[in-house]
Amino acid sequence: MSSTSTHAEVTAVDTAGRWPVLLLLASGLGWLVISGICALIASIQLHSPTFMSACEWFTHGRVSALAETSFVYGWAANAGLGIALWVLGRLGGSTLRAQNWSMIGTLFWNLGITLGLGGIATGDATSFALLELPRYVQPLLVVAYIAIGISGILAWSGRRTEGTYASHWYAVAALFLFPWLLIAAQTMLLWSPVRGVLQPIIDGWYVQSVFSLWLAPLALAGAYYVVPKITGQALPSYEFAPLAFWTLLFVGTMTGGRHLIGGPVPAWIPTLANAACWMVLFHYIVVTLNLRGALTGGGTSLAFISFGLLAYLAGAVLDAVTSFRGVALVTQFTYFTTAQQQLALYGGISMLLFGSIYFALPRLTGRPWNSGSFVRSHKVLAMVGIFLLVGSLAVAGLIQGTELSNATTTFGEIAGRTRPWLLAVSVAQVLLLIGNILMLVNFLRSVCVLCCSGAASEAGSFRQPTTMEVHAS
Amino acid sequence: MMKNGFFFFIGLLAAFLLGWSSIPLLAHKQLGALTPFYDDGESSSFPTRPPGVAARGQLVYADLGCVACHTQQVRRPDFGSDKARGWGDRQSVARDYIFQGRPQLGESRIGPDLANWGVRKPPLDAAAIAQFLFSGVVSGAKAVSHPPFPFLFDDRPVDGEVAADALVGLAEKTPRRQIVPTERARTLIAYLQSLNNAYEYPEARHVAPAVAKEGAPK
Repeated sequence: MSSTSTHAEVTAVDTAGRWPVLLLLASGLGWLVISGICALIASIQLHSPTFMSACEWFTHGRVSALAETSFVYGWAANAGLGIALWVLGRLGGSTLRAQNWSMIGTLFWNLGITLGLGGIATGDATSFALLELPRYVQPLLVVAYIAIGISGILAWSGRRTEGTYASHWYAVAALFLFPWLLIAAQTMLLWSPVRGVLQPIIDGWYVQSVFSLWLAPLALAGAYYVVPKITGQALPSYEFAPLAFWTLLFVGTMTGGRHLIGGPVPAWIPTLANAACWMVLFHYIVVTLNLRGALTGGGTSLAFISFGLLAYLAGAVLDAVTSFRGVALVTQFTYFTTAQQQLALYGGISMLLFGSIYFALPRLTGRPWNSGSFVRSHKVLAMVGIFLLVGSLAVAGLIQGTELSNATTTFGEIAGRTRPWLLAVSVAQVLLLIGNILMLVNFLRSVCVLCCSGAASEAGSFRQPTTMEVHAS
Repeated sequence: MMKNGFFFFIGLLAAFLLGWSSIPLLAHKQLGALTPFYDDGESSSFPTRPPGVAARGQLVYADLGCVACHTQQVRRPDFGSDKARGWGDRQSVARDYIFQGRPQLGESRIGPDLANWGVRKPPLDAAAIAQFLFSGVVSGAKAVSHPPFPFLFDDRPVDGEVAADALVGLAEKTPRRQIVPTERARTLIAYLQSLNNAYEYPEARHVAPAVAKEGAPK
């Protein structure tokens, strides 16, 4: 910790507004573990197809949908919103307002996710990628989301300083844009469905927009706040940050059509996606330049954020490369696409969120993380796990893609050749699951100490912020 | 713009609207009014509407999540091995899907493409498909190639005569019991048998390889 950041530790803004944030973060971590269990089942089914397939609730299609939905709407949404509210509250300079709205909204959001996952397991899934949640929970999600977001928007509009900061832009953009996006997708796909291939086209747009307009901004809001706080330095190349922000918002959503190369859709959709993929790289490069201080800084938070930053950039480069027809000829429809998705969502978004959470929690509770060894174990397990997960999926995908283009290879042979790599994927899922359980336990224990011992001893550790970092750094 | 809250929100809204109108709306303008193709020679129009039982079967296909492993989109003959694998002689086009309630294009080929599965070679009859869904083994093959879905079948005692669609091959082992496809299995099988995009629309005709190479981006 540098001395410049110690000032920020002694603040009542955190303690007075901590419960909505803690509730969001705890829900997120809980869903992350549930999602990890589903992802593990799904990955075992890839090399042992009969595993749990006799149970209708866990066919590969359903359990994959459960894993994906609980990951995005459970983990990333809750944790991202928690970080966004915390950042907006701090930047606003006053205690978070409308806390009750946010708490109630969180409860209903998670109720909606729970009902929705039950619906997917019992056969009510919509079969749209990332919009699998059944129709009957969708309106609830919109209302609950708006209730959560009110706190953040109030913190933004009532901020003490006139100027704004990159964290502001990303957090407000995510809070404001997602309801529009969800309502538009629901209307065109679920309430008054469009015809034929327009459905997959619009779903492709929605999936990409969820990433570009919602998850990435949530994760970046935290990273843009935490990195300068820890390094104690102004962000380099910051003058490009606004342009990078608008590039992501305006161009990012157009990259979704890359999944439709060669498909029964107008050719301009994948072509536009190809051009957009390269244009949006500007955003990724500027973000990397802005946050490059994380790469040389020390400590747990920055280690996670560095990993996340590089994965975020690498994911975008891979997206751009695979958006060419010649490359997609091999990688399309294979595990390679899954690898790219995991690189972006797990390596990029989740690692950035982990980094922000490791920084935020000691400030919210006023004490260090309960167990330093859990923190270090989670760091190692997450990094090794993601490397193994993305690497094995990518290799399996390349084998699968090469063999698929050879018409004489049967699917049984392809399964045999990819099997070792798919086994490695299951190992990676186990590592990630253990790591995430450690983080959840550590989080709950850190928060429980707060409930049990009251507020009496808080002041002590606030005056010695360096001790808070001892375990976590 | 970053300091002025009003303009900032206008910018956000503009970003959303641009993305929305550039893909969903433009595509809708282009494809939303796509009509069936009337063939004078055959005096009928294509694609044909799927029978009701197949349309219900598509819902079963969707709720089981078959789309996680199977695509239903054939790529052009010179783009990938789709034709060589016998998945279809021509590229799938938007018109193929206009009567499908929930097109299942898919993004993953862990299993084969199913766009023309109803006319696959060698053909499978309903009984063979039922056997396959129940056991996960293609008749004649040794290894399991598909997760078995026994929950789509009823295991019930023989009451009077054995049901006409009861799975064969099990009677010898347990003469008093029979395994019968449920309603969902029957609709799913009807759906799988209905998958057929063989009709050639003008926009789906084969392109001569030389011309195709010239037009194909590298």
